[in-house]
Amino acid sequence: MSIEAYILYAITALLLLISFIKDKDKTKKGLIKGAKSFFQLMPVLLPLFLFIGILLAIVTPEFISSVLGPESGLLGYLFGLVVGSITFMPPFVAYPLGVELLANGAAYPQVAGFLVALMSVGLVYYSAESKLFSKKSAILRNLISFIGAIIVILVVLVVY
Amino acid sequence: MLKFIKKNKFLLLSVLMLIIISIIDITLTYKAFTNTWDQVLSMLMIVPPIFALIGLFDVWVDRETVIKLMGSNSGIKGMALAFFLGAFSAGPTLAAFPLALIMLKKGAKYSNVLFFLMVWSSLKLPIVFYQITTIGFKFSMIINLTMLIIFVLGALLSEKLFKKEELETLQKKAINYSK
Repeated sequence: MSIEAYILYAITALLLLISFIKDKDKTKKGLIKGAKSFFQLMPVLLPLFLFIGILLAIVTPEFISSVLGPESGLLGYLFGLVVGSITFMPPFVAYPLGVELLANGAAYPQVAGFLVALMSVGLVYYSAESKLFSKKSAILRNLISFIGAIIVILVVLVVY
Repeated sequence: MLKFIKKNKFLLLSVLMLIIISIIDITLTYKAFTNTWDQVLSMLMIVPPIFALIGLFDVWVDRETVIKLMGSNSGIKGMALAFFLGAFSAGPTLAAFPLALIMLKKGAKYSNVLFFLMVWSSLKLPIVFYQITTIGFKFSMIINLTMLIIFVLGALLSEKLFKKEELETLQKKAINYSK
């Protein structure tokens, strides 16, 4: 488990304890409600994991390094944005990969665009997100993040 | 049958991809399954606290409070709170969806919920710290400040793009998911 997970557990335990001291019945009711929404949401979320598992098998860090090389040019920018938008990667894999890409000669703006798209655009979540909220909402959130990634590229181009 | 296909497009797409990669290289399939299992496990690790928090939120925080703090007239304060909640979080964006739903259910403004989701996806503190230690302070800050501005503007703009009825449907859906 990561440190962030421990913190999450600690905060939840503390709040549960406070809640329990203040009102036992309310706490019980809350936990039952939480469990209920868990069982309602899981069927929507589970198919996602299979998809993410397949993606992670195909789009490995090595694959990305080979695509985002120093000579990839404008196409490389586009590729970084697209690959970043489609795939999913935990941050502790993504950022070291970013460092490696830079060390291998990839340009700063290109790496920035890739990392931002990777973190903020979540096309893998699209199916679940459009079911839970709405298609329009899911498209808007991803679109805003994608435009954001392009703007970040431009900003980094100016600064570096 | 058609309805089943329509409802499970995503699952069917995954199965199709599995068949294709099995033909290309069976070790890829094996890897895909191990990855899936790892993902499910890591999700299950953070799921109990998330849903406990949702339950507690549901019973302790009443609608009026949420409307006052994050509702349509909450202004900058509502946005600041959305930022705070998104930044002090842990886990993948997927884990934020149930929390966003309960916020909507309790009457939070759509733009605030969207902003919360976007901050969670890329500006949460654990990520920012990790960013700084890997790609450096300057590079991280350029990226994060730019994204923060885009998220604020994007969230405000999105709210405008929704009709009143559409926002009401969103809220109704959210209520259905946590009865």
